[in-house]
Amino acid sequence: MAIIRTKTQWVLFSLFLLALFTLPFYLPSSWFDIVNSIGILLVAIIGLNILMGYCGQLSLGHAGFMAVGAFTTAIFTNSLHLPYLASFICSGFSAGLIGLIFGIPSLRVKGFYLAISTIAAQFIIIWVLKNWTDVTHGSNGLNVLQASIGNFIFDSEAKQYYLIFSIASLSVLFATNLARSRIGRAFIAIRDNDLAAEVMGINVFNYKLLGFFLGCFFAGLAGSLYAQYKGHISYEDFTFQQSILYIGMLIVGGLGSSLGPILGTVLIESLQKGLTYWVAPWLEQTVTFLPTGFSSGLNLMVFGLAFILILIFEPRGLAHLWSLFKGSYRLWPFSY
Amino acid sequence: MDTLIQNSITGIAIGMVYALIALGFALIWKSSRVANLALGQLVLISSWFTYGMLMQLKFPFWFGMIMTIAFAVLLGWLIERLALRPLIGQPILSLITVTLGLAYFLEGLTAFIWPQGQGYLPKVFPQESIRIGPATIQQELLWGAVISLVLFILLSVFFKYHKMGIAMRATADDQLAVQACAVPVTSIFSMSWIFACIVAAIGGILISSIAAINYGLVETGFKSFSVVILGGMESFLGCIVAGPIIGLCETFGGYLFGSSVKELIPFLIIMIVIMFKPFGLFGEERIERI
Amino acid sequence: MKRSQLSVVITLLLVFTFIFTNVLACTSQTPTQKKPWWIGFSIPLTGAAAEKGAPIGQGQLDAIEYINTELGGVGDIKIHADWYDTNYDSTKATANVKKFMEDGCLFFTAVSSKEMSASKEIANRAGFPGMVCFSAPSLTHPPEHIYAQFPDYGDDWAAFSRYYLKNIWKGPGKPKMALELLSNPTGYGVRDAARATADELGIEIVATEEHSATTISETDALTRIKAKNPDILFISSTPAPTAIILKNASDLKMIPGLTVACAHASFTKALIDFAGKDVCQGIYGVYPTVYWGDKVPGMAKMIEYCTKRHPEYIGNNDYMIGWASSLISAEVIKQALKTSSVEALSKGDATAWQLVEKNGFLNVKGYDVGGLCGPVDFSDPVDKRGSKSVKIFQVKNGEMVALTTDWVNAPNIKYENLDWFGK
Repeated sequence: MAIIRTKTQWVLFSLFLLALFTLPFYLPSSWFDIVNSIGILLVAIIGLNILMGYCGQLSLGHAGFMAVGAFTTAIFTNSLHLPYLASFICSGFSAGLIGLIFGIPSLRVKGFYLAISTIAAQFIIIWVLKNWTDVTHGSNGLNVLQASIGNFIFDSEAKQYYLIFSIASLSVLFATNLARSRIGRAFIAIRDNDLAAEVMGINVFNYKLLGFFLGCFFAGLAGSLYAQYKGHISYEDFTFQQSILYIGMLIVGGLGSSLGPILGTVLIESLQKGLTYWVAPWLEQTVTFLPTGFSSGLNLMVFGLAFILILIFEPRGLAHLWSLFKGSYRLWPFSY
Repeated sequence: MDTLIQNSITGIAIGMVYALIALGFALIWKSSRVANLALGQLVLISSWFTYGMLMQLKFPFWFGMIMTIAFAVLLGWLIERLALRPLIGQPILSLITVTLGLAYFLEGLTAFIWPQGQGYLPKVFPQESIRIGPATIQQELLWGAVISLVLFILLSVFFKYHKMGIAMRATADDQLAVQACAVPVTSIFSMSWIFACIVAAIGGILISSIAAINYGLVETGFKSFSVVILGGMESFLGCIVAGPIIGLCETFGGYLFGSSVKELIPFLIIMIVIMFKPFGLFGEERIERI
Repeated sequence: MKRSQLSVVITLLLVFTFIFTNVLACTSQTPTQKKPWWIGFSIPLTGAAAEKGAPIGQGQLDAIEYINTELGGVGDIKIHADWYDTNYDSTKATANVKKFMEDGCLFFTAVSSKEMSASKEIANRAGFPGMVCFSAPSLTHPPEHIYAQFPDYGDDWAAFSRYYLKNIWKGPGKPKMALELLSNPTGYGVRDAARATADELGIEIVATEEHSATTISETDALTRIKAKNPDILFISSTPAPTAIILKNASDLKMIPGLTVACAHASFTKALIDFAGKDVCQGIYGVYPTVYWGDKVPGMAKMIEYCTKRHPEYIGNNDYMIGWASSLISAEVIKQALKTSSVEALSKGDATAWQLVEKNGFLNVKGYDVGGLCGPVDFSDPVDKRGSKSVKIFQVKNGEMVALTTDWVNAPNIKYENLDWFGK
C-alpha cells in the first residue's frame, strides 16, 4: 500500500511541502532558531525511533552518539579540511559504528539491561571526548565552521533552514519507508517478541546490530548539523539529561510511528523555547509581587507538568491521539 | 599498605552512602518495574525541605527530622496517586517518562521555593574523625555507612517476612495475579513510593550534612544509578554490595590511574559485568517464554 | 464517548497553548527600540551552576533596578534587562545569544565560562560584544569581541603565587605546590596558568589532583598529596568540594601547618559556613572584589538594595560580582554615548554593536566601580580583562580579612604564544 493513497492526500501533502519550503519567507526572524533546532533534533529523534520504536531497544545514550557525530564533523572540517558533505556522511558512519560497538551486548542482554549498556556508552563517550584533549581540546571545545557546498556557505538562518529541513525530510522519508520494508518488519517482529522472531528465522542479533547502526547513524547526522549550526561544541554540550529528554520527546510524540518523532520534537522543543523566551519575560513583567527569577523555577515546573499531563491523558503518545482522531473522523457520525 | 587501608575504608564508606540512595531506586523497581528517573530530584527536594525546616523556620532538630519524614511520606503518596495511578497497566516506557516529567517538576519546584541555589544543614554528626588502624575516616561517612546497613537490613527483612513486603514482591511478578488475590495493587504502589521517598530523604540529609545542598545532589543520584545497575536492579543485597565496590573502584582507580579516570571506572565495570552476568551481580534472571 | 471527549479537550488545550505563545511572541516581539537600552543577560538561575548563578544574576538585576530608579538610567534612558535563564545548558546559552541579537540588544553578559564558551562563536562571528563574569583563558585568548569582567582563575593563581613568594615563603629554593582542582574550566584555568608560568615564577608543582563537583571525600587524593610533602596547597573549586577538602585535610592533620589558598570560585562566606570556622582558620584566598562590608563608596547602596530585595544573599560576595557587573555595563553605555548618538546606538544592529565596542568598551578606562573591585579598563586591545587586579584575603576567626590594602595586579598571561594552549 502506498503511503499516500488518495488524490486528496496527495494535494494536502503537496500543499504541506510547499508551505514547509516557503516558510523562511514569512517566518518572523526570531522563530528561526526554534524551527532550525526542531529540525536538527528531528533527525536525532527519528534515529531514536528506529532504534526504540521499531526495534524495541531502549537507548539512553543518544546524546553521546550525537556527540560522536558532532566531533567527527568538527575534526574533519577543521583539521582534514574535508568538504562538509563528506564529513557529514562520515559523522553518520562514525556514530553508527560506535553505536554498533555498544550494541554488541545485545547478544546477551535485553530490555532495560541493554539500556544500561547505552548509559555506559553515554558516559564513556563523553569521558573519552573530555580527556582526549589533543583532538577534542577538552573543555575549550572546538569551533566549527558553517556548512558549505563548494563556495556556497550556509551562513544565514534561512539557508540553514533549507539545509536542515532537506535533510530532515529525507530522514522522515527514509524512516517511513524503512518501517514498511523487510528490515522494518523484522525490527517490529523483534520488538514484539524476539524469541518468536528468532524461531521464525530472523537473525535477531544481526538485526539488533543493524538497528543500533541505523539509529546511531541518524544521531551522528544530527550531531553534525548541530555542530555546524551552533558553531562551537564541547563535551559538556551532550549530557545524560539530554539523552533522557530525547526519550521523553519520543514517547510523548508516540513510539513506533513515523508521525511520533515529528509531533514529539515540535511540541517539546517549542514548549521549552516558548516558556523560556516568551512566557517567562511576560510572567516577570505581570507578576511583580514574587521575587525576580521565579519564572525559571516555574518554567521547569510547567515543562515537567506538560510531560505528566500529556502522558496521563494519552500514554501512548500524541501520534496515537492523532490516529484516534483520524479514526473517529472517518467513522463520523458513527464514531465511538 | 597504609594507603591501601585508607583508600579501602574511604571507598567502602563512600560506596555505602551511594548504596543508600540506590536502595530507593531498587525499591520502586522491585515492586513496580518502573525506573525512577526522578531519584536525584527526590533527594534534592527532601534536603531542601530539611533546610527549610531547620535553617529557615529554625525548628529544633528532632522536630525537623520528623517533619521531613512526614513530608517524604506525603510526597511519595502524592506522586503515586496523581502521577502514576492513572497509568497502571500502560506501557512501562510511559511510566518512566512520567517520572522524567516529575523530575523536571520537582527541580522547578525547588528552584521556585528556594531560589538561593545552595544551602547547608547544621552538622548532624560529630565532626572529629576516627582512626581505624593507620587510616583516618570522617565520622559522618561511618554513620552514613551504618545507617545504610541498618536500612538495608530493615528493608530486606520487611520484604521477606512482612505481609506487605511479600505482596510487593508478588506485584512485581504479576500484577493481575495479585489483584486476583484481592490485594489492592494501588496501595502497594503507594507504599513502595513512600518508602523510596523516605530512603531518599534520609540519604539526602546524610549527603547534605557532609557536603552541601546544591544541584550536585542530583548528579550523585545518577552515580547511585550505576550502583543499582551493577548490583542488579531489584536486589537490595546487590545495592549494598555494589555500592562499596563502586566506592572502592573510585578510590583505587584514582590512586592507580589518576583522578581523571575516577569518573569512568564505574561504567567500565558495568560493561564488563554485563558481558558475564547480564542481570547484574545479584539480579534475578528473567526467564522468557513465547 | 469519554475518551474522544478527552482527546478533543487535549487537542484544544494544545492548540490554545500554541496560539497563546504565538500571541505573546507577536506582542512582545517589537521592543520599543526608542526608549530603553536593551542589554542581554544569560543567567544560570537553575541547574548545576545555580549556587553561583542565582546570587550573581540577582545582583545584576538589582543593580539595573538601582540604575533605573535612582540614576534615571544612562543618558536619561532606562535600561531594559533582557534576561533568560539557561539552566546551565550550552544549547540554551547559544539560543539566548541569537535571541539577544534578534531583540536588538547592545551587548550581552554571561555568568559562567561554559555559557560564554557556547555563545562566543556566534557572537564573535556577528561582532556582537559580550562580557563574562567568570572567565576562562580560552574566552579571551585570542582576543575578539568577548570581554572578561575579572581576571580568571589562572590569573588568581598567578597573582597569589607572586604574593606568596614575596610575602609568605621564607625558605631557600623553590616552594613545592600541590593543586586540587575541579575537573572543569574552574580548575583547568589554574592548571594551564601553572603550566605556563610556574617555572618562570619559581614554583615547583609537585602534585595535581582533580575532583568532581559532587565529591564527598577527598581523603585519598590528599593522602597522595601529603606524601609529596608540599609547602602550599592551592584549591580551585566551588565552596562545597573545597569545604570537604579542608575538612579532610584537617583530619589528616595537614592543616594547620600547610599553607592553603583558594581561588575566587570558592572563597566566599559559604565556604566558612560549610567547613566551619576552625577548619578555615588561616586559609588564604583570592577574590576580585572587596569583602562585604568594607568601607568603599559603592558598598552602602548595594547593601541597601540587597537587604530590601534579596536578604538571603547578604554577605554573599557573588551578589557583589553581579552588582559590579551591571555598574560596568552602564558605564560602557555611558562612554559610548559620549561619541555616538542615541539613535545610532538604539538601533541595536550590527553597526550599533560596532559602535558600542569601539566607543563604549574600548573607552572604559580607570572606572572605579564604586571601589567594589579593581579599576576597570577595557582599552587594551590585547588584554580583554576589565579589572586586572585582585585582593588577597585571609580567614581570621570566621571573617575574611584583606591582607593587601591596594589591589594586587594580575598580569595578562599570553597563552596564545604557547603551542599547547587550546588543547
